[in-house]
Amino acid sequence: MRKLDEVLKNNLNGLHYGNRVLLPFQADILKAVIENDIITDFSSTKSGASYKVREDFTEIYFYDYEILSEVIKEFEKIKLIIVEKGNDIFDFSNHRKIALSIEEKHKITISEINDDTLLFIE
Amino acid sequence: MLMKKNNLIPLFLLTFFFNATEIFAAGTEGTEQVLPNPIMVLPFAILLLMIATGPLFYHHFWERNYPKISIFLGSITVVYYLVWLNDTHSLLHTAHEYISFIALLSSLYVATGGILIKVDRKATPLLNVVILLFGSLIANIIGTTGASMLLIRPFIKINKDRIKPYHIIFFIFSVSNIGGALTPIGDPPLFLGFLRGINFFWFFGHIWYIWIPTLLMVLIIFYIVDSFNKEGNTEDINYTNKIEFKGSKNLIYLLIVLISVFLDPGIISWVPSFSPLPFGIREIIMFSVVWLSYKTADKKNLEANEFNFEPIREVAFLFVGIFASMIPALQLIAYEAKVYGQQLTPGIFYWATGILSAFLDNAPTFLNFLSASLGKYAYDVNVKTQVLEFSELYPFYLQAISIAAVFFGAMTYIGNGPNFMVKAISERSGIKMPSFFGYLIKYSVPILLPIFIILYFVVYHGKV
Repeated sequence: MRKLDEVLKNNLNGLHYGNRVLLPFQADILKAVIENDIITDFSSTKSGASYKVREDFTEIYFYDYEILSEVIKEFEKIKLIIVEKGNDIFDFSNHRKIALSIEEKHKITISEINDDTLLFIE
Repeated sequence: MLMKKNNLIPLFLLTFFFNATEIFAAGTEGTEQVLPNPIMVLPFAILLLMIATGPLFYHHFWERNYPKISIFLGSITVVYYLVWLNDTHSLLHTAHEYISFIALLSSLYVATGGILIKVDRKATPLLNVVILLFGSLIANIIGTTGASMLLIRPFIKINKDRIKPYHIIFFIFSVSNIGGALTPIGDPPLFLGFLRGINFFWFFGHIWYIWIPTLLMVLIIFYIVDSFNKEGNTEDINYTNKIEFKGSKNLIYLLIVLISVFLDPGIISWVPSFSPLPFGIREIIMFSVVWLSYKTADKKNLEANEFNFEPIREVAFLFVGIFASMIPALQLIAYEAKVYGQQLTPGIFYWATGILSAFLDNAPTFLNFLSASLGKYAYDVNVKTQVLEFSELYPFYLQAISIAAVFFGAMTYIGNGPNFMVKAISERSGIKMPSFFGYLIKYSVPILLPIFIILYFVVYHGKV
């Protein structure tokens, strides 16, 4: 299974279809910010968002958006705080901030957020 | 006697719904207009109610549909004025004010969006107070919108390990509102007053001694609250104490916007008027700045600022409905102000302007109460020399209206344009902001209202 560092280093992309996002690594998601929505409850399957960790990827559904590419504009990002599968979720140093840019042809660019790039409060 | 006069405030605000049936002089242009039916205040009331409850109770429906709702409710008023009242003048006048309003806000928003400020310093309550004070000062030069857009991100970033909603709320209180009370560029209501003939420096001369203690009270409360925030123990981090400023070419665009503020046929005689079109050369320049500053901005700065048009789009759509649907409410208020004119004191003008500015747009509210106060002394708001004379002979009235229009804009998210933008940027940064009522009940009423009451008792109580 690919690790996040490998994904970032090799510029591996994720995918988006409608309101579904596929990330090429396994991770638990602690917080998601999409537009003005701050999502921390992933238990619903009707509103907000939910995610499933699959064998080779992680998929997220954003229920309040039908087609993400129509909502997320050029300089906007979906922001996530994630913990890679296998890491201690209670150790804050394992909390990683990533930004997802919605591109054409269902492609998602994944980048790590640091203080010099984007503003994202955990 | 004074109590009786103060009791006029609710009377003043509420009775116009029930007894307005006469023909009256509009006050804004000196033409006669038929008073709208009080029932026509309903679209405005519904829109305000939806703005207040939408994000709270039906968030996603509201997010998807607010443009349609706003335009629909505004259209009811437009059709009413066109078909029933046959009054195109009020609509054109409102369209002009709306276009000026959105041109100024959007140009400042986009021009500052390409500027990136990075401050690598340890967050302390004192540093935060300095930033809020600095923001309040520059709000008088680049407007509350410009100052808010320029400083909100560095302010959040500095406090990233200890940020709480109150940080953003106090930012809205000071930088996005109270700060901009000293010049006509600071806040749109004062700009309208300037266009009507009030001297540019009148506001500074008559407001600074109220501005300073008010801002100080807000900042002292902030300092105390912030001192209890012990989160973000960053002792082990080495700070460079550097301040980085990127996108300086956008300062030129800001300068162009500021100069264009004065390009009005009413101020400079050689400036062409496009009347009856509801815009002028100023608005064309400002919209050109929107386009140019976006196209020529450093993409890295836009990316770091996560620049997008959604906040200004939201303001544009909501305020097109607000501006249109509030025409009847403002005309009824103006009428009532004339009816009760002789009994209205500066204190009543202070509260009436303030309460309405908290929930309506403060620019047209200011203008209507300015018109009412002028009417009290038989002056006409359309005659610049009379407005100037009024500002010199009866400064107390103008001061009360100006202060209330600007300060009370901080009472709600909808009180002033930048409030909404700051809220949106904060939420996109991951900060959970209070709801409309949460903002009002937890912050505005307990913090701002007592300050405004003190202000009333110190400055306006008992004055006639």
